[in-house]
Amino acid sequence: MISRALLVSLALVAASGSALAADPIKIGVPVGLSGANSVVAPSVVQSAELAVDEINAKGGVLGRQLTLDVADDASGAAGAQKAFDALVFQKKVNVLISMETSAARNAGLPIVARGKTPFIYTSFYEGRSCSPYLYVNAWVPEQQVPPIVDYFNKEKKATKYFLIGSDYAFGRGMLSFTKAYVEKTGGKVVGEEYLPMDGSDWTPIISKLKASGADAIITSTAGGAPNVTLTKQLRAAGVSLPYGNLAVDEGTAKSMGADAAGIYISASYVTGIDSPANKKFLAAMSKKFGADLKTPNDLSVPEYEGVYAYKAAVEKAGSTDSQKVLAALSEVSVEGPRGTIRMDKQRHAPLTMYLGQVQSDGSVKVIQSFPNVDPGAQCPPKS
Amino acid sequence: MPEVRQFSQLAPAPLGLSAKWWMVPLAVVIVGSIALAPLVLDTYMVNILIRAFFVAIAAITVDIVWGYCGTLTFGQSAFFGIGVYALAIIFTEYGFGSWQALFAMGTSVVVAAGVGALTGWLSFYPGSTPLYASIVSLVVPIVLVQILYSGGTFTGSSSGLVGFETFDLELESWFRLAGLSLAAVAVVALIIMRSDTGRLLKALRDNDERCSYLGINTSRYRIIVLVLTAIIASLAGFGYAAFGAVAAPENAGFTFGTRLIIMVALGGRGTIIGAIVGALSIEVASAYLSGSLPYVWELIIGIALIAVILAFPDGLLGAVGRLGRGILPSKASATTQLRPVATADTGPAGSEVAMKVTGLGKHFGSLSVLDGVTFEAKRSELLSLVGPNGAGKTTLIRCLSDGRERSTGFVAIAGHAIDRLPPDRVVQFGLGRKFQAASVFETLTVAECLRVARTHRARPSPVSTSTVLELPAAAIAVVERSGLSDRLGEEARNLSHGLKQALELAMVLALEPEVLLLDEPTAGLTRAERQAFADILTSLASRDRLCILLVEHDLDFVREISSRIIVLHQGKIALDGSVQEVVDSSLVREIYTGQQAAACGAEP
Amino acid sequence: MLTVALDIVTTAALLFIISSGLLIVFGVMKIINFAHAAFVTVGAYATLVGARLGLPWILVLPLAFVTGAICGALTEAIIVRWLYRRPLDAILATWGLGIVIGQIVTLIFGREVQFVQAPITGTVDLLGVDYSAYRIVMIGAAVIVALVFTTLLNGTRLGLSTRAVIMNEMLAQGLGVDSSRVRLITFAIGSGLAALSGALITPLSSVDPNMGLPWLISAFMLVMVSGGSLMTLAVSSLMLGGLQVIVSTFVNPILGGLTIAICAAIVLRIRPEGFARA
Repeated sequence: MISRALLVSLALVAASGSALAADPIKIGVPVGLSGANSVVAPSVVQSAELAVDEINAKGGVLGRQLTLDVADDASGAAGAQKAFDALVFQKKVNVLISMETSAARNAGLPIVARGKTPFIYTSFYEGRSCSPYLYVNAWVPEQQVPPIVDYFNKEKKATKYFLIGSDYAFGRGMLSFTKAYVEKTGGKVVGEEYLPMDGSDWTPIISKLKASGADAIITSTAGGAPNVTLTKQLRAAGVSLPYGNLAVDEGTAKSMGADAAGIYISASYVTGIDSPANKKFLAAMSKKFGADLKTPNDLSVPEYEGVYAYKAAVEKAGSTDSQKVLAALSEVSVEGPRGTIRMDKQRHAPLTMYLGQVQSDGSVKVIQSFPNVDPGAQCPPKS
Repeated sequence: MPEVRQFSQLAPAPLGLSAKWWMVPLAVVIVGSIALAPLVLDTYMVNILIRAFFVAIAAITVDIVWGYCGTLTFGQSAFFGIGVYALAIIFTEYGFGSWQALFAMGTSVVVAAGVGALTGWLSFYPGSTPLYASIVSLVVPIVLVQILYSGGTFTGSSSGLVGFETFDLELESWFRLAGLSLAAVAVVALIIMRSDTGRLLKALRDNDERCSYLGINTSRYRIIVLVLTAIIASLAGFGYAAFGAVAAPENAGFTFGTRLIIMVALGGRGTIIGAIVGALSIEVASAYLSGSLPYVWELIIGIALIAVILAFPDGLLGAVGRLGRGILPSKASATTQLRPVATADTGPAGSEVAMKVTGLGKHFGSLSVLDGVTFEAKRSELLSLVGPNGAGKTTLIRCLSDGRERSTGFVAIAGHAIDRLPPDRVVQFGLGRKFQAASVFETLTVAECLRVARTHRARPSPVSTSTVLELPAAAIAVVERSGLSDRLGEEARNLSHGLKQALELAMVLALEPEVLLLDEPTAGLTRAERQAFADILTSLASRDRLCILLVEHDLDFVREISSRIIVLHQGKIALDGSVQEVVDSSLVREIYTGQQAAACGAEP
Repeated sequence: MLTVALDIVTTAALLFIISSGLLIVFGVMKIINFAHAAFVTVGAYATLVGARLGLPWILVLPLAFVTGAICGALTEAIIVRWLYRRPLDAILATWGLGIVIGQIVTLIFGREVQFVQAPITGTVDLLGVDYSAYRIVMIGAAVIVALVFTTLLNGTRLGLSTRAVIMNEMLAQGLGVDSSRVRLITFAIGSGLAALSGALITPLSSVDPNMGLPWLISAFMLVMVSGGSLMTLAVSSLMLGGLQVIVSTFVNPILGGLTIAICAAIVLRIRPEGFARA
């Protein structure tokens, strides 16, 4: 009798214990499944899925399993409002980890603040977005632009730059930094043209480019589709100037095919990084996704590392409480395919940058690498 | 002493709502639900509903412009967007505070009104078509969005504007504010749409031309409606942005505009409530379903839209209403009184010239439809215009009633030259035109048609429907004689052809015209109806001293009632004389039979 | 300068091809088909399928045309047929159809943007200017489309029946022309043309479920301004398309996108028949 009661109570305790332990930690991923980012979104989701699988297989975080909730932000402000609302207030996620266009990110921040949810932003962007809830583990212009411009100045003897971008926060922010840097290093900007994010007819801009006598192009468009249309149309028009693309990733470059050959990119990740962590990562991705694998790239790998950063922060904080996690995020570091990532510079991270050129088979050949580039003063504390 | 006759009809009483016993409890329930709901619903739902309430206000404006006035408008989203961006831009540039908020609201209203007026001026002008108005309404949001895109950091371009400080209210307070605003707009809209003014708008939708010929400046009304709805839509947008703290070009664009139309179509156009039901259902369902069934949800909307257009044009509410009408007992009738208007003394008998035409011509290039038409007609004359097909009779009627139609010549009605004035102005000089095919307002009741016909003489009330309808004795005579007096509450589309003709005549007589133009009025009438008609016309000419110009093919009818006949042939007046002269004329016989007539026995 | 001129002509050619299908439908039936954008998208996706199957372009173009024509015939039979007396409602119903087609395409192919390789790459040297070869080919394509359909309209029995129906349907019916068959075939051809234009523009842009939408408005405005004649459409495409390119190049590409819509609205206000002759 005693033993039976004991068994029953043990069973109850075990059951309630596992019930507590089974309460999952929800990760919300608002991403551009449609719209300008739709080309890269699948790769981002795949990275998140791999990270979650790996972590769950090892017992989860603080004994709790991770789950993913993906929502489409339509790569824009209106869609982001809906996606963030759904994730924060309906699904009640514990954290948001994602890459999005700057339009979407800016629209989501007020909701993040209202919901007091930590938000790890895993996309490179134009910098200076400062919210106490926002952490960024991807590059900002201070890290990305100098390698390309320096290279063009020195190796290509470029003096006249033509800048093309998508007309929104990212496009304008990147190109204004670029313009300042070009002029600081002795060059001249002979043209600066924008199309709306969903614009696809670059014809008049390309004609202006040809008429301007520029000897180098730098572009900063939104996500996938504008990159591809611009590049295709540039090539169709016979433009073969040194072409630095601040916003293209390897996956998109691959899908552009032969048109992408010759493009210079500056990234914190290329698949060719020769490190054990990267090799392990690529092998795991291949194994999990097989033929459906979307090329890991500079927008999707930070997502993988972002999930691990969250894991580390929760473990350090001992709970999923937002304030504690936010404090812990600046103290933890992750060993990922891009090396050691720690978001300790005003919630941004120093990164190793690679200057590469796209080859005719779509892969990227690394020309130079720059370890530990500082992001600069992105969010100086108010004095 | 004016006789007052009473007729029963299904007419709502003042305020369009009557002292229905359930009004006050309903109001309490609605306000109470709005006040208490945020305590019961979860945060996500509250969030969605707040946004949905503001969108529903915009949907109501679409229903007013489309469901009631008949213009398929894609452009209300532009006005919504103006409100959104007025707030966002001013708060971004100048920060947040009470003067900024007032300034933003003022800007929103002024800009929306201005753009609405411009759009109205472009869309609604004499001669415009509903299709063209739709086209303009399509272009407006596209232009606005492109302007937003080209605004650089001022408008945020593709990203929109975020991060501006805005009103800091609790979620529950936002809910109550939005909900009560929606309720207020709905109540005001319902009151106005159910009033005589609302009937007038429906008349504009049903038959714009008839309205013009009742002396109503249809363009002016439509423009006013557009400006007012623009202001309301912009304030809805203002609220939306004040809550969401985000301004995005999608809030102003063509896709959102079509979304509003879909909401109204699915809910039921022309009912106001339908717009609210459609907007709330779609917003809420879309928020919940588009996450879990992203593609299927949009697919359902598309299919629903097609189904509604093809099979249920009245939308959800219409279908429910039809069911309800089958089940519920018909409403108790209220009474409408027709009271004769004391007509002004018509002055000395006989001699005034009511219609003067000199050298009227209508040419299409080298083709002359009318040439050198000259005649005068006096009051109390019953003048018939005859001639073979293609002689130009209907064209002449058009040139007499619409100052823009003729190519050359001079026309004066009741002593006023009509110059190049549009029909509504000519009618105001004292002209009434009855069309060949009975031109009435199909979805309005007989009483409502008559009420609209009096618009020019007696402004309709924006808040109530009149129970007493003042009509001139001539119109009342037609109504009683034809039997319409027993059917005041019936919709015009259910009337027989003969009754529709009588209704149209009564409507035209309600204008108290001095000159009456009738185009083949006896076509399709029975013998008895024709006789009644003849009596009416003769008494109009003799007793009311109208100058009547009648286009007819029935020569017996013409012979019986006319005092004078004008024969038109190939655009020129062939003969203008008394009945006897014309009947005996061999020229007329020649014209009609196309050959030299025999000396006797030639029946036309 | 030559570049701008070439830009103008090629843009006009593109607009002409895309609008011609809409014009044929509007001219015969006075119905605006707001599903036109969806048919353009269908054609583009047909091209995608063709490319994946490895078909050469000679076969891909007819494949696109036929796919569009079938969609059009179905649309006419199921939806449009009941709405001839309600043209504004027809706009709405076809818009609904456009949504349905867009979603079905998304369900089958996914939301992402896809790309098709151009059959002709590289540039052509024209009087010292390097210009995109494919864009030049567009001009030829537009001319061929215009010729084929003008011949169809003027040189065949079907064309004769169609013109009769356009001028006076009741009379045509009285003379034995099966006007419902004419409408069906016309709608199918118009939709096929839309799909064909979708196929032709894929090398210049991306293939995604909403790609046809920006073209819809421009095509619609051009058709309104052109009345019912292909010739007038060609002229309008050249004039308004040219204006668009000039504004885009010398003022602002964003405002350039507006030119067609605004100019067309103004022209229609002044002359409701548009550029058509009476």
